[in-house]
Formats: sequence, C-alpha cells, structure tokens
Amino acid sequence: MNIITCFKVVPEEQDITIKPNGELSFENAKMTISNYDLNSIEAGAQLIESISGTLIGLSVGALNIDDSKLKKNVLSRGPESLYLLADDNLVNMDTHQTALALKAAVEKIGDYDLILCGEGSADLYAQQVGAQLGELLNVPTINSISKITASEGKVVVERTLEEEVETIELALPAVVSVTSDINLPRIASMKQILAAGKRPSNIWNINEVNLSKPEKTIEVLESKAPPQVDRKQDIIEGDSEEIIQKFIEKISKELK
Amino acid sequence: MNILVFAEKFTALNELCSGARQIGDRVEAVVIGPVEGQDITGADKIWAIPAQSGAMLEDYTETLAALLSKVEPDIMLVQPTKRCKLIAGRLAAMLGASVITDVMELSKNGDAKRMVYGGAAISTEKAATTTAIVMVGPGVLGGATQSNTSNNEAETFNFIEPKIKLIVIRKEQKPKVFVDLPNAKRVVGVGRGFVKAEDLEIAHQLAEVIGGEVGCSRPIAEGEKWMPKETYIGVSGLMLSPEVYFALGISGQVQHMVGINRSKVVIAINKDKNAPIFKQADYGIVGDLYKIVPALTSKLK
Ligand SMILES: Cc1cc2nc3c(=O)[nH]c(=O)nc-3n(C[C@H](O)[C@H](O)[C@H](O)COP(=O)(O)OP(=O)(O)OC[C@H]3O[C@@H](n4cnc5c(N)ncnc54)[C@H](O)[C@@H]3O)c2cc1C
Ligand SMILES: Nc1ncnc2c1ncn2[C@@H]1O[C@H](COP(=O)(O)O)[C@@H](O)[C@H]1O
Repeated sequence: MNIITCFKVVPEEQDITIKPNGELSFENAKMTISNYDLNSIEAGAQLIESISGTLIGLSVGALNIDDSKLKKNVLSRGPESLYLLADDNLVNMDTHQTALALKAAVEKIGDYDLILCGEGSADLYAQQVGAQLGELLNVPTINSISKITASEGKVVVERTLEEEVETIELALPAVVSVTSDINLPRIASMKQILAAGKRPSNIWNINEVNLSKPEKTIEVLESKAPPQVDRKQDIIEGDSEEIIQKFIEKISKELK
Repeated sequence: MNILVFAEKFTALNELCSGARQIGDRVEAVVIGPVEGQDITGADKIWAIPAQSGAMLEDYTETLAALLSKVEPDIMLVQPTKRCKLIAGRLAAMLGASVITDVMELSKNGDAKRMVYGGAAISTEKAATTTAIVMVGPGVLGGATQSNTSNNEAETFNFIEPKIKLIVIRKEQKPKVFVDLPNAKRVVGVGRGFVKAEDLEIAHQLAEVIGGEVGCSRPIAEGEKWMPKETYIGVSGLMLSPEVYFALGISGQVQHMVGINRSKVVIAINKDKNAPIFKQADYGIVGDLYKIVPALTSKLK
C-alpha cells in the first residue's frame, strides 16, 4: 500500500510573541510539525508496519518549510522520503488554497492508495483540508477516524463522532483524516534519527507541479491577540502545613 | 443578505435559523425528510430533500451542492459538527467556496471572528467568494427576536445520487456523559500533573467539598483517556465561565486557558513556579498537588 501523510509546518508556539499593536510576531519562531500531524504520521507508520508498502510525507507552504532539522524530525518517524512544495507564492494559505496545492503535489507524486491528514492544524484548526483534498481528487474522503485497519484494496475505519461511533468500509484510493487520539506518536530512537539523515527529500516549486498561484477564498481583515484578563497573581511557594493554611485563608473568601 | 441554513440536528437548525434572522434579510432552511409539523422559527422557506433509506447525512452532499448553486445564498450557515465539517469541506471543494469554521461572532456584513493559534489570536475573516460557508454553533448568534412560524413556504428539492457511497458496517451509540460543566459554578480542572487515573479521586473529593464539577485538560481526555472527551476544557473543547476555576497540575497553555479565561477567579496548584498558569491565576500555590489537594479538601470540609 502506498501512503502519503500530509503534515503542516507551523511556527513553534513557544516562540510566538505579541507585538505592541496586538498582532502576533513569528520573527523568532522556529518551524515545527503541527502537533496533531504527529498522529497522522504515526498512523501511516503503523499501517506500513502491519502491511507492506511505502510511506511518504508531504507538506506545502512557503520556502521556510524547507528546514533540515524539521525534515529529519519527520523522517525519523517512519516516512521513507519527503515531498515539500515550498514556494513563497504559498504563504499564509487558507484551507482551499492548501487543498489545491496539495492536490497538485499529489498528482505529481502520482501513485497512492491512501492519503492521511491530521485532525486539524495548530494554527488554523479548520479541520477542512482533508475533506477538501479528497473531493478535489475525486476520491472517497472521511474525517474523525480513530482506528484504521487495512486490507487488499480497502480500509475499514472507525469513526468517532459526537454521539456515535461508525465502522465504515472505504474503497481505495481515499483521503482519511484521523483524530488526535488515534495513537501515541513514537519518540524516535537514536537509530531512527540516524537513518532519517540518509532519507531523501524532494523540494518543488509551484511550476514544477504545474500549479498557478491559488486565489484566496478568505480575506483576513485583522488578526490580534485578545486582551489579557487581569489576574491578581497572588502566588505563594511551598507545601508545608503553614503555607497550605495560608493559601486556604487566601482562597476561602472566594469560596464562601 | 440571503442565508441558507443546514444542520445535523433539528433543534440546532431551528436555533440557527432564529440566529440567522438577526443578520439576514431572508433565511431558508434545508430539511431532510418530511416537513410536516416541522415549523422552523425564523425561516422564510424550507427546502425539503426527500429522505433516502439507508443514506448517511454525507450522502446528501451532491444534493446540497446543487441546491447551493440554485439558491446562491450569500452565506450558508452550517452547524459545526464533525459530519457537517466533512460535508462543508466537500461542498467548498465542489463549488470553489470558502469555509470559515467555528465562528464565534458573525456580523451583519458577513465579517466572521474565529480563534487561530489555539486562541492566541482572534482573526476577523471575510469570504472572498460569492458564497461563504460559515460554521457556527447554535447559541452564538443569539435567540429569536421575532417569529414568523407555521407559515414558512416549503419546496421539495430532488435528491441527487452521490457519486461515491461509503459502506457503514456498524453504528453504535456512545454512552452519554452526565456532567453539566457549562452550568457549574465551580469547576476543578485536572491536568497531566496527575500520574494515574485513580489519583483523580482527590480532585473529585475537592469538587464535592466545594460543590463543583470536574473537568480536564485535553491530554487527560485524549492521550490518557482517563476522562470522557466531553469533559475537556479549551479552544477545541468546552468554553466555561464559572465563578471559581481550580487548575490542578495544568501548565496553562493558551489552548486550555481560552476555555477558562472568563472565570471570575482562577486558582492554580502547580509544582513548577514558572508554569504559565501562574501568570493567569488570581491565587496560586507552588507545590505538589498530591500534598496540597487532600489538605485543602480536609480543611474546607
Ligand atoms: C490544535 C490544538 C488544540 C488544542 N486544544 C486544547 C484544548 O481545547 N484544551 C486543552 O486543555 N488543551 C488543548 N490542546 C493541548 C495544549 O496545547 C496542551 O498540550 C495541554 O493543554 C496541556 O495539558 P496539561 O496542562 O494537562 O499538561 P502539561 O502541559 O504536561 O502540564 C502538566 C503540569 O503539571 C505540573 N505538575 C506535574 N506534577 C505535578 C505535581 N505533582 N503537583 C503539581 N503540579 C504538577 C507540571 O509542572 C506541568 O505544569 C490543544 C493543542 C492543539 C495543538
Ligand atoms: N500546508 C499543509 N501541508 C500539508 N498538509 C496540510 C497543510 N495544511 C493542512 N494540512 C493537513 O490537513 C489537516 C487539517 O488542517 P486544517 O484544515 O488547516 O485544520 C492537517 O492536520 C494536515 O494533515
């Protein structure tokens, strides 16, 4: 089975700061794998371990997604190679633009049986790209999948919704978006990290995948940090009898 | 502004239509199945799609796309459930429309506010396409100001066979969760500072003494699966505004904090004095929750 796992590259959350005008600053932010895409990469790795096949990683975005540390990180988690569509025409895309770019890259890659997406990206968390990509590729697509069992030509998936759990059979090829609790992503071993250094990455620009810059479907008018709530920040240190007693005195008036 | 409303549940459809009235001039609702007896407050018209036996809601996506092309609303309002997110995404891809998900505020001119970066920022977005698909929970747009019930016009819209049908082998109801966190005045939140499931008992004891309910951070519900998913608090879970929120062994990441920012008082217990939670707490104690929580419970009894 040939599996493509889609991961988004996002700025590291701890490195994001707020500018005086309330906008977020990404100036000092390292690029990292969007948290819940660790689960879709792991889901792909586990499938390949259970039945034979190939797993490749795919990401689209601006030029800064092509980062050697990041590539090694992804490759140490199972994929045998990476495809990055990295082009500054693809900066800050909405979900529709992203799905169009992924489609172009997938068509250039050619052969696939299963495309995996994560539950939602760390920055937009729109939970849209998987559904849009499946439809654009004209193949079955399904979301919220908490278990995948693969066999010849099809997969059986468990879908956890708000009030029910469905078991569904999907003909391949298909696009499947997994939940963030489908598995616990592995911590790569030293051996896997070393092996990752030898695995290939293919970097494309939009011309190489025959993509013209996709039109925006959403205009972002403003993006600002919400006002901070003022808190007393009355903090004490220690867990001795007396300190706990003091703490109780402080909070008990709030519990009246 | 013309609004077409689609929801998974009838009650949600009804609420969304009432809410849509506040921003739209004309509101039309999509109903799958018979419309008799289904009065929809706030809808000028009902589009009735005949129910197909054995079909999933997702099987109506092609039909909805055709309806959208016919009605050409400015906004299609959709309930933000998992099924509807899949349907909305497919519709957007079919029609080249935009989808704005999990909207927390929608203005009369179509500007939508939603959280990005886990709640670190709120972005104001507007569709750049003729039709915008906007996913908004019932309740966000507010209730009805006027009702023009029982005489909405109805028209049948024919079902279109889906090009791909998924085979549902089995369907099971999930067990119901009976904690009313949104209405609790006091909430005890548990995080990864707890080492094992049994230890949550000390949080339940504290909650009992102060007359509150227990919620959790997302990893406790998802990674550990110690608590039901319905009880996690934060940007992708419950948004609460209790009088008092206790954070036990919770680091205070933005994705969690946006769910409790509207609490009147925040009290934090964490052994790491640099945990971000302390910057966002009214009262805090730096120490081991395993010592502090039982002591608190017995003293507060
Ligand atoms: C797209 C996206 C959406 C998300 N949505 C949500 C959401 O809605 N809600 C949510 O909660 N999270 C959400 N998260 C996850 C979030 O980023 C954090 O990972 C999570 O909130 C951390 O949970 P925690 O505080 O329990 O665990 P940790 O961050 O691991 O913190 C545990 C804390 O316990 C303290 N501790 C350890 N032992 C003790 C002890 N003995 N006594 C006292 N303190 C102790 C530690 O000092 C630490 O601060 C989301 C993430 C993403 C990417
Ligand atoms: N730029 C991207 N490159 C590759 N995959 C992406 C990208 N953006 C989103 N995805 C995938 O789509 C999923 C859902 O993203 P979103 O719709 O933005 O919440 C993510 O978990 C990824 O698997």
